[in-house]
Amino acid sequence: MLKKILTISMWEYLEKVKTKAFIISLIITPILIITVTMLPSLLLNEDNPKVEVIGVIDTSGIYFNYLDEEFQKYLLPDGQRNYVLINLNHMDKSFEEKEKTADLNVLKKSISGYLIVGTTDKDSLIAEYRSNLFGNFKVVGRFEEALNHYKTRKILEKAGVQGYLLEKIEDRTRIQQIKISEDGKVSDRDFLTTFFLSVVFILLLMMMVVYSGQMLVRSMIEEKSSRLIEMLVSSSTPDELLTGKILGLSLLGITQILIWVLLGLSLVASSLLPITAFKNILPMLLFFILGFLFYASLFVGIGSTVSTEQEAQHISTYLSLILMLPVVIAMPAIQNPDFIVTKIFSYIPLTIPTVMLLRLNVQNVSNLEIFTSLIIMIFSIFIVTKLSAKIFRIGILSYGNKPTLKEIFQWIRE
Amino acid sequence: MLIVNNLVKRFNSTLAVDNISFTVKPGKIFGLLGPNGAGKTTTIRTILNIIKPTSGEIIFNDNPISYEYYNVIGYLPEERGLYKRSKVIDVLVYFAALKNLSRKTAINSADTWLKKLNISEYRDKKIEQLSKGNQQKVQLIAAIIHNPSLLILDEPFTGFDPINQQEVKDLILTFVSDGKTIILSTHQMELAEKLSEDILLINKGRSVSSGKLSEIKKNFGGNNIRLGFSGNNISLSQFPEIIKYDNYNNYSEIQLKEDIIPSEFLKKMIEKIEVNHFSIVEPSLNKIFIDLIKKSSD
Repeated sequence: MLKKILTISMWEYLEKVKTKAFIISLIITPILIITVTMLPSLLLNEDNPKVEVIGVIDTSGIYFNYLDEEFQKYLLPDGQRNYVLINLNHMDKSFEEKEKTADLNVLKKSISGYLIVGTTDKDSLIAEYRSNLFGNFKVVGRFEEALNHYKTRKILEKAGVQGYLLEKIEDRTRIQQIKISEDGKVSDRDFLTTFFLSVVFILLLMMMVVYSGQMLVRSMIEEKSSRLIEMLVSSSTPDELLTGKILGLSLLGITQILIWVLLGLSLVASSLLPITAFKNILPMLLFFILGFLFYASLFVGIGSTVSTEQEAQHISTYLSLILMLPVVIAMPAIQNPDFIVTKIFSYIPLTIPTVMLLRLNVQNVSNLEIFTSLIIMIFSIFIVTKLSAKIFRIGILSYGNKPTLKEIFQWIRE
Repeated sequence: MLIVNNLVKRFNSTLAVDNISFTVKPGKIFGLLGPNGAGKTTTIRTILNIIKPTSGEIIFNDNPISYEYYNVIGYLPEERGLYKRSKVIDVLVYFAALKNLSRKTAINSADTWLKKLNISEYRDKKIEQLSKGNQQKVQLIAAIIHNPSLLILDEPFTGFDPINQQEVKDLILTFVSDGKTIILSTHQMELAEKLSEDILLINKGRSVSSGKLSEIKKNFGGNNIRLGFSGNNISLSQFPEIIKYDNYNNYSEIQLKEDIIPSEFLKKMIEKIEVNHFSIVEPSLNKIFIDLIKKSSD
């Protein structure tokens, strides 16, 4: 009994894991999802952990010391200075020569860029930042801020405004967002990052379910159309076959998750994702795995009734729409934790996995709610497997016309 | 070996198998014959325990059939196909493993059979790279790799060219000489006639005829003669001894009434016409098949 189940699951697993399509999807899917969801926040919040050496050609000779001092306030997480400014003006050369040497240094990568700053006759300030990259928004922005600050200060000083007033004027107000939870803890996690993480999980689950489900249905269609299924069920019981298939599919899923988790960890290691983003990782993984199991057993049952590729396509389209539901209700759910639709979806087996993946990160879900949803999930997996087994028994041997719902109910009752 | 008693299988409103009984003797080839849609495949599926009969019993080696017997039964379904993108050897080892063979035994057995059927060179090729005939050979091996004591073959000859048909036929005969039992389901009467000892002829789910093939032939209008004669003006219908006749170019096939002795009839004929050929013929299974099916369908 067990030996046959293992034989079947290993076959299902190895035959699918070896396909090029699987390997490609394994790597492409998370890269695609992460790029699409994380790119905007990466571009805006990127904190480059490297020390940058930046040259300054200050033709006026008045700005360098000021800038050097200003830039000392930018520190890396490890306490090192983010920027080291080098005065390129000390060299005893003509401007053109200085520029040429600096350009060479940029290309040699001994400095990441350099700033040319000077004053015109009319006392206005001109500046230019040269580097081999376009889009150094952050450095350029910081130079701009410092220089503008200098200018404002000079103008106000000329107008007779006193120093301490200047500081008051420039003391900007910043609003920090803090999430309060029932247990009194405060969390300062970056909201966008965690929200994106939920979306990433939901998309991964959806892609995984749809992709491996489709793969399973396709192989069952092949087995049915070639009547291979008859050789299989004359060698093992339908239950062994069903269990073997679900197990094989789960192994496939676990392989995917493992590789994706490793990918996630490497993102953490490279500090692209803050470690705090993984605070809810345990319940999230639990819902993820249960969700996958639920849909896998659903797919085996429904898949056994299908005889053509087209019908399989229809089924996976419907299922992926259901899986995408939480993304649709994400915004109202975030803004209003008591949004009734979210509450309802948290108790429907089809939507539990994805809705919970979303809620765990953007709301404070009570342990009772998590527990209830988990119980519902486990219970439904049990029921769905039982029903699928009944449909599977007859479905795998019925060829040709797609059975009607009425017929399927009949199979279940048999 | 295998006894089927009053087997009935009903699908919703259609009666696919209607009260069929037969016995398959060990070490013999049993022909399960009938036109398309007669209920052969349904009968086979109930024997294989793939579907449950509505009523009736199937006894295998003195016990009701159960999943425990899976490992000693081999089955080649009518329509063929294998995992196209998998290697020949992998597929064979998989099916062997499903019959509880160890990996080592499976590989040995697979190699032996691949050699016997002259397709060793494709061992590590993907199924889709093989010709249709060779794919079928692989599937045949998958059905027999575990050395079953009962082998059920559903239309094993379709799709094979004459040379391959010969190979498959030889393989079946080797199996029987090894003491194995075979159920051969087919509508290719010529081969069934040459191979099987006992037959069951079914039509529309019902048994039309069953028993020893030689007996069936004897009972089915045993009074057939082939008569060659010259002279075109003679009408055979004038003889009251003749039930019916078929005229061919050089001879006629004649069915005589039960109580007529062929040699007496020949004496009578010689007096009237110039006979140049006379022989007693058995009806071909093909003829029996067509006649019985027509009769039962009326």
